[in-house]
Amino acid sequence: MNLTQQIVNAIWLGSVYSLFALGYALVFSVLGVLNLAHSAVFTWGAFIALTAVLSFSMPIPIAALIGMLGAGIISFLLEKIAFQPLRKRGAPRISQLISSIGAAIFLVALAERVFTTSVQRFPLGSIPDDPIPGLPFSVTPIQVIVLVAAIGLMLLLQALIQRTKLGMRMRAVAYNARTASLLGVNVSRIYGITFFLAGALAGAAGTLFGLAYNSMDPSMGEAIALKGLTVIVLGGLGNIKGAVLGGFIVAAIEVFSIAFLRSNFRDAIVYLLLFLILLVRPQGLIGQKEEVRA
Amino acid sequence: MLRKTAALLGLSALLITPTLAFAQDDAPTMGSDIAEACPAPANISGAIPVGAIFTISGAASVYGGSQQAAVQLAVDQINDWGFLGDGNSINILFEDSASENEQAIAAMTKLVDEDQVVAVIGPTLSREAFSADPVAQDAGVVVLGVSNTANGITDMGDFVFRNSLPEASVIPGTVADSVSELGITSAGLLYGNDDDFTVSGYEVMLSELSDAGVSIVGEETFAAGDTDFNAQLTNLIGANPDAIFVSALAAEATPIIQQARSLGYTGPIVGGNGFNSPAVLSQTGEDSNGLIVGAAWNGSSTNPLSTAFVEAFSEATGNPPDQFAAQAYTGAWLIASAIRCADSTDRAAIRDSLASLPEIETPLGLFTFDEDRNPVHPSITQVAQDGVFLPLISEEEPAS
Amino acid sequence: MDFFRSIGISEPVFQFMLVNALLGLSVYLTLITGMFSLANAGFMAIGAFTGAILTQTFGLPLIVGLIGGMIAGGLVAIPVGLPVLRLRDIYLAIATIGFGEIVRIALLNVDQVASSIVGERVVITGGALGIKQIPKMAETWHLLLLLALAVYFIWRLQKSRFGRAMAAVRQDERAAANMGINVVYVKNIVFIFSAMLAAAAGVMSAHLTRIISPTDFGFNQAVDILAFAVLGGTSTAFGPIVGAFLLTALPEVLRFTNEYRGIINGAILLLVIIYLPGGLVNPEGWRRTWRRFRPAQGEASVNVG
Repeated sequence: MNLTQQIVNAIWLGSVYSLFALGYALVFSVLGVLNLAHSAVFTWGAFIALTAVLSFSMPIPIAALIGMLGAGIISFLLEKIAFQPLRKRGAPRISQLISSIGAAIFLVALAERVFTTSVQRFPLGSIPDDPIPGLPFSVTPIQVIVLVAAIGLMLLLQALIQRTKLGMRMRAVAYNARTASLLGVNVSRIYGITFFLAGALAGAAGTLFGLAYNSMDPSMGEAIALKGLTVIVLGGLGNIKGAVLGGFIVAAIEVFSIAFLRSNFRDAIVYLLLFLILLVRPQGLIGQKEEVRA
Repeated sequence: MLRKTAALLGLSALLITPTLAFAQDDAPTMGSDIAEACPAPANISGAIPVGAIFTISGAASVYGGSQQAAVQLAVDQINDWGFLGDGNSINILFEDSASENEQAIAAMTKLVDEDQVVAVIGPTLSREAFSADPVAQDAGVVVLGVSNTANGITDMGDFVFRNSLPEASVIPGTVADSVSELGITSAGLLYGNDDDFTVSGYEVMLSELSDAGVSIVGEETFAAGDTDFNAQLTNLIGANPDAIFVSALAAEATPIIQQARSLGYTGPIVGGNGFNSPAVLSQTGEDSNGLIVGAAWNGSSTNPLSTAFVEAFSEATGNPPDQFAAQAYTGAWLIASAIRCADSTDRAAIRDSLASLPEIETPLGLFTFDEDRNPVHPSITQVAQDGVFLPLISEEEPAS
Repeated sequence: MDFFRSIGISEPVFQFMLVNALLGLSVYLTLITGMFSLANAGFMAIGAFTGAILTQTFGLPLIVGLIGGMIAGGLVAIPVGLPVLRLRDIYLAIATIGFGEIVRIALLNVDQVASSIVGERVVITGGALGIKQIPKMAETWHLLLLLALAVYFIWRLQKSRFGRAMAAVRQDERAAANMGINVVYVKNIVFIFSAMLAAAAGVMSAHLTRIISPTDFGFNQAVDILAFAVLGGTSTAFGPIVGAFLLTALPEVLRFTNEYRGIINGAILLLVIIYLPGGLVNPEGWRRTWRRFRPAQGEASVNVG
C-alpha cells in the first residue's frame, strides 16, 4: 500500500512539475534565454482564473481558458517590453536574464496589490477532491486531470512544433534568427507567438496548480521556480519532451528520497543531482548538443 | 470613593463619544478599564507619532496585511474616542520590512531617529525583531512585538516587549490537552525544517510529546513554500499514529489538511499558531473536522471584547480576523493605554507605564505583562467542528 | 548628511549599501573574466557563518572573524571551481545556483548530522534558527576601509599581467589558451578571489543584522548580487558599486510611496536594464539611449546560442 501510494504520489508530483516546465522550456528552446518571470506569469494565470470564478462566477473550464489567455497576453507583453529592446541592441543573454528578474519583481509586486497577499483558493467544492473510490490507492479527479493535461499539452506542443508551418518557423528562428529573417520569417512575430504560447501554458499550469493544492498567494510561483529550473536542465535545456521527462524524474527523486531516506535530505539530493548532471552531461538526459532546441 | 468613580464615569460619558455610551448599557469596550484606572491625559497634546513595522510585501506578507488592518482599526477607535484626551490622537506610521532583516533595521532607524516615534509595534517576524529591536533598545524606545514567538525576544533589553505568547508557552498546553482528551499514545510529526518559527514549534512538540510518554512513530520535514506533502503524509499515515502533529506556516496549513484527508487519514491533526485562522477552516470545509489548534486567541470566543473586535474588523475589512490581527489590535491598544497612563510622550515614561499596566481586559482575555515583559493571558486548545473553532476542554487554563 | 537621512538613507542603510558594494565587486570579478556565476550568495553564507561562529561562539575580535570567513570562502571555492568553471554561460549560472542551494541545505542540516554522529546535541550553525544576537561589531569606517581596499586591489589586479589574462579569457577562451594563457588557472584564481570578497561581505553583514539563518542566503540573494553588477554595468569597477548603492537605497528612498513601493522598485529596475543595457556606469550606453530614436536595426544581433 505504502509503496503503491508513493509511486502514485511521484507520478502526480511529476505531472505538476512537467506542466510548469513546459512553457519554461519552450521559451528557452526558441530564444535561448531563461525567462525567470515565467513563475510570475504562472501566478498571474492562476489569479486571473480565480478572479473569473470569484468575481464573475464563471465555470471552472471557462475560467481556466481566461487564465490561459490572460497569462498569454502578459507573457506576450513581457516579450515586447522586457526582452525585445534588449535583443534589438544585441545585449548579452545575462542582461535578458536580469531583465526577466526585474519583470518578475514587478509582476509579483503588482499581484500583491491587485489580489492582496492573503492565501486564497478556488471555492470549496469547485472540483471534487474526494479520492476516486474503488482503487487500491488514493488519487483524486484533479490529480488525473493534471496528469492528462501535462501529457496532452506536451503532445500538442510537440505536434505544433514538428508538424505545422508555425512550428517550422519557430524551429528556424531557434536555429538561427538571422538566417530565418533572411528567408522571410517575421522573427519578431515568432518571438511574440512563442511567448504567448509559453504564457498560456504557464496560465494553465497556475490554474491547475491552484485547483489541486488550494493554496494560492502571490509568491506561489517562487517556490516552484527553482524546481522548474532543475527540471528543464535535467531534461536538456529547451527540450520539450525532456522537460516532461525531467519533471517526472525530479518528482520521483523527491518522493523516493522521502520514502526511503529522510525528508531532510530531499532537496539536497535534488540539487546535488542538478549539479552533477551539469558537470557530466550539461546537454541534459535526452538532449543533443546540435539538436534544434524544440 | 465609589461615588467619586461613578461621578467620573458619568462625566466622561457625557464628555465623550457614543462609544462609551454604548459600553455602559452593554459589556465593557476595549480600553474602558484603563479609562477608569487612568484619568484622561492632561500633559500631552496633538498627534503622537507611533510606529508600526510589518511585512506588507515579500515572502511573509500574508501576516503583515492583517496586522496593519488591525492596528489601523485600533488607532481609528482610539482617535474617535479621544482616548488620549480631547483633540489628541495617535499618528500611526506604518513601515514595510518586506520580510527582510535589513529593511526592518532601516525602518526601525527611520521611525526612531527621523519620525521621533514614542513607541514601535512589530516587526512581524522574530528574525526581523532580532535584527531591528536593538536599534529601539539603544535609542530607549519601546518596541512591542505582536507576533514574535521565538525564544529570547525580550532578552534583548528592557524596552523590548511582546504580547504574543511564545510557542514554548502555548504548545505544552495543546499537547497536554490533546493527549488527555483524545488518549493519544502514538504520534507522527510533520514540520518545516528551514524556518525558525516552524522548527521551534516542532522542538517544543517533540519534547512535550516525549515527556507525556507518547511514542513518536515518524518524523517528516518539508521546506517553506512547499505545497505537496503527499509523500511525507503517506509515510506518516503508514506508521498508523493516533494523531499527526504539524508545525507549519499559514500557507501550508490548508494543503496539509486536505492531502492528509485525501490519503484516507481520519484521525486528529494537531497544529500550532499557523493553523489558527478562519481562512484555514473555510478553505478546508469538512476536512478540518478534528483539527486541533493550540492558540493565543479563539475567534469564536464569547469574550465580549473579542466578539466586538471580530465584528468591527469584519466590517472594516470584509474578512474575519485571524490571531495575528487580534494580537496586533491588542498591541495598539496596549501602547495607547501606556501613553494614557503615563500622561506623557516621554519614551522612558511610556516604557515604565507599559511595564506597570494593570491587568486589563482584551480580546485575548485578561492580559498583563510578566516581569520579563512577556505576555500573561489564557491560551486555549480548540477543536474545529463544522467550520468553527470550539474549545476542546470547556474551562480555559491560564498560561504565561 | 541630513539630506541623505531625510530621503531615507540613514547610517544602517549606508552600511548595507557598502556591504552590497563589496558583493557587487565580488560578482564583477567573475563577470569580467567571462564567468556568469551565481555562487556568491553561497560564499557569503559561508563567510557569515564562519565569522559569526568565531566572534560569537569563541569571542574573537571582528578582524579574526573576517579573515577566518575569507579563508573559509576561498577554501570552499577551490573544489567547487575546478569542476564547475569548465561550464559556460547559462550552464555555469545554473550549476552555481545548485551550489548555493546545497550550501543553504548543508547549513540547515549540519547540526542534525553532527548530533547524530556525536550522539548528543551539537549546535554549530543553529539550523533554521540560525545564529542570534551576534554582536554588532561592524562600523561604517570598517566597511569604507574594506571597500577602498577591495577597489584598490581590483584596480591593481586589472592593471597587472594577470588582469590582461582575465580580459583575454573573457574575450575568447580558445584564443587566450593559444596565446599561452593558462585559462583554467586564471578562472579558478578569480573565482577564489570572488569567493573571498563575497565571504568578507557575509562576515560584515552578519555583524550588522545580528542574526543570520541559512534562508537569508538563498536564490533571491544570489540574484540580488548579480543585479548589482548588471545594473551598474561592468565596464569599470564603479559600476557594481553604483548598482549596489542604488538597489539598496531605492527601497528606502521609495518608502514614501507606501504600498506601491514594490511595483515602482521593480519598474525602475526594469527600465534601467532595458534602456541602459550596459548598466548605469557606461557612457556608451547613455549616448546610445539618447540616440535611440533612429531607425531600428532589425534582428541582426539576435543571440541564440
